[in-house]
Amino acid sequence: MNAEHTITVERLIEQADASAPFLLLDVRNDDEYAAWKVEGRHPIETLHIPYFDFVEEPALVTRVPSDRREVLVLCAKGGSSAFVAEMLREAGINAKNVEGGMIAYGDYLQPVRVPLDADEADRFEIWQLNRRGKGCLSYVIRCGTEAVVVDPSRHVCEYERIIERLGARIVRVFDTHVHADHLSGGPELARLSGASYFVAVSDGGKLQHTVTPARDGEEIRLGADHASTLAIRVMETPGHTPGSTSFLVGRRHLLTGDTVFVAGIGRPDLGGDVAAWGRALYHTLHERLGALPDDVVILPAHYSDVSEIRDDGVVAGVLGEIRRAVPELQLRSEEEFVEAMKSALSAPPETYTRIIEANLGTLRANAEEASEWELGKNQCAASRH
Amino acid sequence: MSVKILDAKGLKCPMPIIKAKKEIDAMSPGDLLEVHATDPGSVADFQGWSKTSKTAGLKDQRTESGSDGKTVYIHVLERK
Repeated sequence: MNAEHTITVERLIEQADASAPFLLLDVRNDDEYAAWKVEGRHPIETLHIPYFDFVEEPALVTRVPSDRREVLVLCAKGGSSAFVAEMLREAGINAKNVEGGMIAYGDYLQPVRVPLDADEADRFEIWQLNRRGKGCLSYVIRCGTEAVVVDPSRHVCEYERIIERLGARIVRVFDTHVHADHLSGGPELARLSGASYFVAVSDGGKLQHTVTPARDGEEIRLGADHASTLAIRVMETPGHTPGSTSFLVGRRHLLTGDTVFVAGIGRPDLGGDVAAWGRALYHTLHERLGALPDDVVILPAHYSDVSEIRDDGVVAGVLGEIRRAVPELQLRSEEEFVEAMKSALSAPPETYTRIIEANLGTLRANAEEASEWELGKNQCAASRH
Repeated sequence: MSVKILDAKGLKCPMPIIKAKKEIDAMSPGDLLEVHATDPGSVADFQGWSKTSKTAGLKDQRTESGSDGKTVYIHVLERK
């Protein structure tokens, strides 16, 4: 394949975020197109014509505008879009194939550095890896030559690459909870790097992985080989799952997993007992997080909408503002909160039970199944605003 | 009326539909073409294609277990 005739999803997202002039031609079938689309931080001008319509009627290429804009052709895996892009080029249209299609879009991790205050910026760094296609966020925290990875996706080599670039080695791998929407790379990344792995055992009695406990209030020191060190404080924040754990990095940055998001809170129903988990979530939100100052920066594990990505590319929110903006955080009684949780929730995707089992280690997914189970955006929030 | 089988196993999209169109266009009205594919995405794609196709109508879709244990998706097309 001629490199001039293809574009990576990384470049596609960059162009979309920069409002570059291009036309996206999505050639998937109607159902796939309705269920999941490429999103940039600005609306993308998109034309949807299934590839089999081009097979049936090659003259359809005349429906694609032939002005000087690039036409980027996208399908599920990159095969049909390559075929359509070729047809368009033969008709004189400047068309490129999006390599790997929606599978590559769902796998891509965009690394963004989280800005820190001056006194913290010279001691450590936090990288947010944004899995744009799914709205999943994971983190690499480095102090000196030691790094911690939180909520890694299954693309473990991406984490190894960034950590090598930072000149560090992984000492701990944390999952904030047993994820239901995506497969965790935590156990594998820990094994490959010789680091210890943590996820709360209370998230599943059947957990097959060896974990090094991280107890509430414990401080994990990073950068022992460095002039200054970083403390990461462990906070139990049950609710989204019974074992949900948050991590306070330095003074101000709280990695909350799916407990609280920038524009909502985590759904407490994925374990089937929304009343019990909902009560736990209420107490976590009001008592545990309630005790934290307003200027704490929330770094969540997911987002629901691209509008949550700030201009600097980071998905983050200040706790004081989140408290004021999220309606569920205004509810002042446990019963009212639990009722709101019960009524707001739609059924989670069917694949979530299988993903939970895979993350507990009781079920294995081959590469094809992994992609298939993970298709689409996460549905971990109890609310979308 | 004839029934023809098109082995599209192991082929990724768009090939099963490209090959099926080539075959069905050369057939006579009423003839049947059975496309045997292994790509699960072919199920929705054959449904979509047959809605707009001038020559291919979708009569039936079923699955069978292949000799290697993999699912085979069978799409039965009728030449319009």
